[in-house]
Amino acid sequence: MFRYAIKELLKRSKLYLLNVITIGLVTLMVITLNSLASAYREAARLPFQDIQGNIIIQRNGNVPENISGVLLSCSLAPIPQELVSKIKGIDGVKDSSAALTLWVFDPDNFKRVSGVNFQDSFGRELAAKITDGSVPAGDDQILVEKTYAQKNSVELGKEITISGHHFKVAGIVRATGNEIMASDVYVNLQTAQEMAYQSQNLQKVETFNDTDVNIIFVNVGQTALEAVTRNIEGIVSNTTNNTGKTPLGQTIGSYNIYTPTSFENQISSLFHLSDRLTWFISLILFIGAAIIVARNALRTILERRREFGILKTVGFQNTDIQHEMSLEIFIQVLAGFLLGLAASVIAIVVLSRTTVSIAIPWELTAYPHFLLANPNEANVTQTHLLPIKLEPLQVFASFIIIVAVGLATSFFSIWRINKLRPMEVMRHE
Amino acid sequence: MSNIVAVKQLTKTLGNIKVIDNISFNIKDGEFLAIQGPSGSGKTTLLGLLAGLEKADEGNIVVVDKDLTSMTEDELAIFRRYNIGFVFQSFNLIPTLDVIENIALPLFPEHISRKDMFERAGKVAKAVGLMERLDHYPNELSGGEQQRVAIARSLINDPKVVFADEPTGNLDSKTGQVVIELLRKLNSERRQTVVLVTHDDKIANASDRIIKLLDGRIANEN
Repeated sequence: MFRYAIKELLKRSKLYLLNVITIGLVTLMVITLNSLASAYREAARLPFQDIQGNIIIQRNGNVPENISGVLLSCSLAPIPQELVSKIKGIDGVKDSSAALTLWVFDPDNFKRVSGVNFQDSFGRELAAKITDGSVPAGDDQILVEKTYAQKNSVELGKEITISGHHFKVAGIVRATGNEIMASDVYVNLQTAQEMAYQSQNLQKVETFNDTDVNIIFVNVGQTALEAVTRNIEGIVSNTTNNTGKTPLGQTIGSYNIYTPTSFENQISSLFHLSDRLTWFISLILFIGAAIIVARNALRTILERRREFGILKTVGFQNTDIQHEMSLEIFIQVLAGFLLGLAASVIAIVVLSRTTVSIAIPWELTAYPHFLLANPNEANVTQTHLLPIKLEPLQVFASFIIIVAVGLATSFFSIWRINKLRPMEVMRHE
Repeated sequence: MSNIVAVKQLTKTLGNIKVIDNISFNIKDGEFLAIQGPSGSGKTTLLGLLAGLEKADEGNIVVVDKDLTSMTEDELAIFRRYNIGFVFQSFNLIPTLDVIENIALPLFPEHISRKDMFERAGKVAKAVGLMERLDHYPNELSGGEQQRVAIARSLINDPKVVFADEPTGNLDSKTGQVVIELLRKLNSERRQTVVLVTHDDKIANASDRIIKLLDGRIANEN
């Protein structure tokens, strides 16, 4: 029967090739489309890999009148410690860390200074990037970013002054400029809080308590991400006292909550496809394939009407002919699927060499643009290779659906063949 | 000799026309029977009914002690596979299969090895003189050779009865004569009952008995 099926497929190769190509194209489109959608979702998480978390919380604040001394990164507002504790206690939160990002305008230079708890998850992530030296052992020790150190001839063990405080360089850390919360200098959180608390210019525009922070990183399991985000939104909506707008148009006092989903929205509108939409498009493609294959099957049955009559005359039961037809359809489905899979692998290899650009919201790695010759340099973009890969589950699901298309076509063919009476062959001779 | 086919009060209507109208007759085991009649007299329909390819409206058809009128479509298919051979006017070979595969076609649904299948087909091919043409395709054969393939296919399961519908209709008279002689030879050597429909008086006269049909009824039997 297999040899018979192969011979039949070769005889009407053009028609069957159309089926194989249709199935192949649908397989290619479905696998590539789903892989692209997954890749963009995955890409949206990449900026978070530097912070050991997947939710970032900030609060919009006022612009200082006097740009000098220690200021909060403009225009962020302090977040009270009480809120940090509340968020830590939310069901589904695995871990959280908080930091304080400052702009320090000293008479001779400008520094971005971040106050970090070197023992929490963000601090540990930062410590892992130390290229020289070690984690600061005391409040008077700091980490300096490598590029900043090179530009300003800062060396390990050297003393530098920040807003009148003297610090010893304990380590050099490699943190690229486009990472979230990229800074020139990393100090102990409490030291940064003390510097901020004592800054008159800062206290003029915001009420800063010595335990406040201005950025929170929350690490949540992927399944709980949506629920925790909603929960945080609920908490911060009760604590805001919103007045006025920041220069970026955000409401002063309101909170910004960044998640992979919020990044996903700005990566690509073309491939920002929800799971439902992707599968809906896939379903349409599968139905289209089923219609084309069924139409060709109908044409084949009409052309082979006489042949099926002969088979019945010589003693083939309907089930024997059904097996023959199913075998022919299965061979086409398998050939089409393998063709589509091979094409998908090529497409994914090609796509994996393309890059995706992710704009990091300015507040997350704020730099005073007025200090730059070209203010646009303050905009930060991360460029990553598109993290696209062939998902075995998608391949398996596509195969199952393609087989279902084949089965549906088989049933349709069988239904037509069962109605055929062998005597009709003789009458139409 | 016992009856291998027994037809009793058989009626078949197609549309509004009674194609077979209440006919009864018997065919003896090993008989070479010709059915004659003008076009539209019901010859092909009768052959289809006797072979279980068509369902009767009324009456009974008993072939090899089995009542075909009470059998399901699948039971009839199995019955045809082992008990009935059928030869068509236009050969009806499968164009994608070669000679040996066409002969072995009725064995395809059975779970037997390819070797055994072709061994059996080879024996029948030898009996009809096709050993030199086994790997040829139908379009590479003459009309007479194609009909011999069709006859070999009808014999692969050593059936009790072979039905032939105008087997010489598409052949020249000389080739037609060779085919009839082949059927005659099989009838006498293998003791297979042959029932053939023919327009040709010469062929009909060479048979053991002739049934003449007219408007679905037996007009003459001798």
